[in-house]
Amino acid sequence: MARKRKNRIDLRALEGVVTFFGSHHALRAEEVLKKNGLQAVLIPGPREISPNCGVALRFEYSRRAEVERLFEQFFVHYEDIHLYPDQG
Amino acid sequence: MKIRYFDNAATSWPKPGSVLEAMKDYFLHGGGNPGRSGHGKSIGAGRIVLNARERLANFFNVLDPSRIVFSKNATEALNTALFGLLHRGDHVVTSSMEHNSVMRPLAFLQEHGIEVTTVKADETGLVHPDSLMKAVKKDTKLVVITHASNVTGTINDIGAVGRMCRKRGVLFLVDGAQTAGVVPVDVQRMNIDLFAFSGHKGLLGPQGTGGLYIGIDEKEVGPLMRGGTGSVSDREVQPDFLPDRFESGTLNVVGIAGLAAGVEYLLDMGREKILEHDSRLLEIFLDGFSRIPQIVIYGRQKPLEQTGVLSFKIQGISPSKAGEILDREYGIQTRIGLHCAPSAHKTIGTFPDGTIRLSWGIFATEKDVQYSIRAVKKIAGSA
Repeated sequence: MARKRKNRIDLRALEGVVTFFGSHHALRAEEVLKKNGLQAVLIPGPREISPNCGVALRFEYSRRAEVERLFEQFFVHYEDIHLYPDQG
Repeated sequence: MKIRYFDNAATSWPKPGSVLEAMKDYFLHGGGNPGRSGHGKSIGAGRIVLNARERLANFFNVLDPSRIVFSKNATEALNTALFGLLHRGDHVVTSSMEHNSVMRPLAFLQEHGIEVTTVKADETGLVHPDSLMKAVKKDTKLVVITHASNVTGTINDIGAVGRMCRKRGVLFLVDGAQTAGVVPVDVQRMNIDLFAFSGHKGLLGPQGTGGLYIGIDEKEVGPLMRGGTGSVSDREVQPDFLPDRFESGTLNVVGIAGLAAGVEYLLDMGREKILEHDSRLLEIFLDGFSRIPQIVIYGRQKPLEQTGVLSFKIQGISPSKAGEILDREYGIQTRIGLHCAPSAHKTIGTFPDGTIRLSWGIFATEKDVQYSIRAVKKIAGSA
């Protein structure tokens, strides 16, 4: 049980949220970031920041520039990037 | 009696075990609706679809996987392209070798103010790029031809046509129903703007799968259907982005899971090996049939210039009767008559009786071919 908790990603460390128009891009974004060694967690899209896609992506906001570059390189189209800390 | 299945141009059989496993696995462990929710089953289904899109993109050398949109078959993909692109006053150029999946939409569009020019192929079913381009006018919007004929297997020089279309500023749509998973396709190198493919033929997926590659601005193509996409759910107008613009309603995820496994199987095998295999068997057929005087063969009759498709007739016996005997007495399953392409049969001179069409795939063996040659020889001898 303790081990499981240790492996869990601390969502509070992932203060950035990417919103998307469609789910294809959300899933591809997750895959692209993970393949490039970045942390990424799909979450239900917070309605208060976007009415669009059902899923959004949490990431380390401090690495925003790198994330944007990867999205461009791998044809990931996104709606917006927000600084939106997890409410816990 | 052992069944020899020679109707792979209609749908491939058998499928690799991995295709069946992928579909079973989806039902046992997956099962959600992709893009509809943030829970595990929905995201899991979404990942299956993403994986399939990425594999297909890799297979056809497409950089952005969202440019592959799924359909239920090549026919739906072709209809999406033709009805989405062509408007009153537009001119479209096509060939006489097209399947009804192109001919029937064009016949309908012709009645609704679209001008259609049909360029005749030669008697082997080959569409000559120069004669095709001679029909292109100032107001021509689109050239649409098949990559390979479903009647003769004749492979067209798509690269040459693509190059000329790009030079003339005309859009190029390719019907890849017979070639996806058989002839290597590179949409970039071949200058293909739109490529329609079947999932259940050369790509070894299940029926109910197919797709369209859209290489141009997606806003230039109107969707064939409108409906729920899981995205932009607060609005009642169709999304204008890929792939959602063209994927209304729940996708065939179980089929797409199988299709991805089929594509993976081919990638493991090597894309170049497939046509080589098909051509090797073609040579055996051509050699065997050349020793049977009653046989008339259609098409290029040259390895690597046609897919694993061979159309022929036996003089003195109708294709339908010969096909019936092949099936009933020898367990050889072929397609007989007109293969949904009346204009193609007129081009090669086999209208209205049609032909006997043998079409094989990667699982056919030399033994199957030798057995079939012996069967045809016996039928021809008794005619």
